[in-house]
Amino acid sequence: MKKLLNSHEFMMFIILIAVSIVIGLKNPLFFSASTIFDIVRGSLVYCIMGLGVLMVLISGNVDVSFVAIAAMTSYSTHMLLLRLGYTGGMGLYLAIAILFGLLAGLAMAFITTQFDLPIFYVSLGYQTLWYGFNLFFIGRAMNFSLPQGLVGYYSRFLIKVKDPVAGETGLHISVIYLLIIAIFVWWLLKYTTFGRGLYAMGGNREVAIRAGFNVRRITYLMLALNGALAAVAGVIQDAYSRSFNPVLFMGQDLDVIAAVVIGGTAITGGRGSVIGTILGVLLIQILNRGLIFLGVSAEWQRMVVGLVLIIFVSVPAVIERRQKRLKYSPMEKEE
Amino acid sequence: MKVNRDMAEQKKSSFARQLSFHIEGRVLILAVVLIILVIFFGTIRSRFLTTNSIKSMAFQCPEIGLMGLGMAIAMMINGINLSINDTANVSALVAGLSLIELAPLFVGHEFISIAIAFLVAVIMGVACGSLNGFLVGYVGAPPILVTLATLTLYRGISVVITGGQTLTGFPDELSVIGHQAVLGIPVPFVIFLLTGIVVYFILEHTTFGFKVRMLGTNPTAAKFSGIDTKSITMKVYILSGILGAIAGIIVMSRTNSVAYEYGTRTYILQALLISVLGGISPGFGSVIGVLLATFILQVISTGFNMLLLGVQGSSFFKDFSWGVIFIVILIIDRLVHRHSGMG
Repeated sequence: MKKLLNSHEFMMFIILIAVSIVIGLKNPLFFSASTIFDIVRGSLVYCIMGLGVLMVLISGNVDVSFVAIAAMTSYSTHMLLLRLGYTGGMGLYLAIAILFGLLAGLAMAFITTQFDLPIFYVSLGYQTLWYGFNLFFIGRAMNFSLPQGLVGYYSRFLIKVKDPVAGETGLHISVIYLLIIAIFVWWLLKYTTFGRGLYAMGGNREVAIRAGFNVRRITYLMLALNGALAAVAGVIQDAYSRSFNPVLFMGQDLDVIAAVVIGGTAITGGRGSVIGTILGVLLIQILNRGLIFLGVSAEWQRMVVGLVLIIFVSVPAVIERRQKRLKYSPMEKEE
Repeated sequence: MKVNRDMAEQKKSSFARQLSFHIEGRVLILAVVLIILVIFFGTIRSRFLTTNSIKSMAFQCPEIGLMGLGMAIAMMINGINLSINDTANVSALVAGLSLIELAPLFVGHEFISIAIAFLVAVIMGVACGSLNGFLVGYVGAPPILVTLATLTLYRGISVVITGGQTLTGFPDELSVIGHQAVLGIPVPFVIFLLTGIVVYFILEHTTFGFKVRMLGTNPTAAKFSGIDTKSITMKVYILSGILGAIAGIIVMSRTNSVAYEYGTRTYILQALLISVLGGISPGFGSVIGVLLATFILQVISTGFNMLLLGVQGSSFFKDFSWGVIFIVILIIDRLVHRHSGMG
C-alpha cells in the first residue's frame, strides 16, 4: 500500500484528478460525459504510439521515426486497398498496416544491430526517409475516398450519449484496441523475458548482455512492435478523421515522447510503466482542452502549456536532487 | 598506485589518439561524399556547377547550418536543443517588432535601427539560451524535456506577441543582408562562415572549449576535476541560443518577414540530422564536420531538384534521399572505424 502511494503513477493520478477538479470548478461543463469521451478519443492514438515509445525508452533508446512509420503504413495500405477495390472494414486495413509496420521496424532493427548504431541516430534518418517515401512514391494529397466498410467509422460508439452542445456523441469503439494493446504490452513488460530484458537493457546494457539476455533479439522484437503499434495508431487516426494523410502526425513525435516521459518513464531507460504512459498522455490532453474550458484565449494557450510543461519537468528533477543529497550527503557536500 | 597512474596515462594517450582519429575520419568521409555528390550532379546537369546555382545554394544553407551548429554544441555536452528553431523565430520576431518601432526614428540612417534590432535579437537569443541552461544545468532536468518544454513556451510567446500574424514591412536596407553578396559571396554565407570560425576557435583553442569536451565525455570526472559543470552547461546553451538568434536574423533578412511558424515542422529534425551527420557526439566532433554536413544536405536538395525537374513532387525525393544517405553515411563511418580497430 505504501509502495502504491509513493509511486509516480499514483502521484500522476492525483495531479490528473486535481487538475480536472480545478478546471471543473471553474467550468462545470468540463465534467460532462461528452467531454470525457472526447478526451479519451483524442488520447487514444497517442496512447497506442506511446506504448511503443515506452518500450523503446525503457530499453534506454529514443526513437523519433514512429510518426513517419504510422503515416507510411496507413497511407500505403489505404492506397493499395483503394487500387484493389477493397470495400470492407478495419480488419484488412489493420492487418496490412501492421505487416508494413513490422517490416519497417525489423528493417530498422537490422540496421541498428548489424552496424551497432544508436537507434536515435538511425531513427532521425528513418523519419525523413519514410515521409519522403510517402510523398514522392505514394501520393501527395490527402485522400478522402473511403471504402464502404470505413464510412461512418468515426461515429461507431460503444456508449452513446446525447449532449446539448456536441449533439450525439459517445465512447468510440476504438478504445477496445487500446485496452487490448495496453494489457498486451503490460503482460509483455511484466511476465516475459523480452519485457524483463528491456528493463535490464535500460538499466545497464553491458550487465544485461552478461546476464544472458539476447539483446539483439530483444531489439528486433521491440522495434517491430513499435512499428506495428504506430501502424495501428495511424490507421485508427485516419479512419476516424475520414481522410488518409501522407504527412500524418508530422512534427508530433516529440510531443508523444514528452507525454510518455511525463508519465514517469526515464529518458535514460530502465524505468516506465503502461499506466504511467496512459496517464501522461491523458494529462497533456486534459491540459490542452482544459485551457479552453478555463477561457484562456487561443493565443495564450500554447504559452501556458509551455509554462506548465516547464513546471512538470523541473519539479521531479528538484525532488530527485534533494533525495540524492540526503542519501549521499558526504559526497555532495562541495555543492 | 604507480601502475594505476601508468594505466591512466596510457588510457589518456589512446583517448587523445582516438579523439583526433575520430574527427579526421568523419571529416574525411564527409568530404569524400560531398565531392562525389558534386561530381555526380555536375556531370548529369551542367547547370549545377554554374555561379548562379552555387550562389543560390550559398544563400539557402546558412540558416539551417547555424541551427545545426547550435544543436551540435548542445549535443557535445550530452545535451540537445530542440528549441533552437523557436529560439530563432522568437528572436527574429522581437527584433522585427523593435525594427518596426525604431525605423521611423532613424529615417535616413536605417542601418542604425537594423543594427539595434539585430542586437535585440541576440539578447533574446541569450535570454532563451539562459532559460534552457538554467533548467538543464542548475535545476538538473533532462535536456530533451527542458528544450521540448521551452520550445512550446517560445512558440507560445511568439504567438502572443504577434497575435499569430506574419510580420512584414521592414526597411528595404534589411534585404541587403539577405540578398547581397560581398566579393561574390552571399552575405548570409559570410555570416555563417564567420560564426563557424568563431565557434571553431571557442571549441578548439580556449579552456572553455576543453571544459566542454571534458563535460561531454565524463560529467562526473569533469565535476571532480573542479570544473563548474553548471556554469559550463549554462554557457553552452547561451551560445546555442545566440546561434539560433543569428539564424533568425538571416531568415528575417532573406524572406523580409518573420512568422512564428517558420520551419517548425522540419527544421528541428534537419538541425539534428546535420549535427549527427557532422559526427557530433558527447565530447567529440568538430565544426568542420557540421559545415560539411550542411553542404551535403544542400547539395542533395538542390541537385535532386534539378535532376527531377518537371517530375511531380520532386522536392519530396530530397527528404527520401536525405534519410537514405544519412543512414548510409552512418554505416560507412561505423565500418571504417571497425576496420581500423577503433570505436
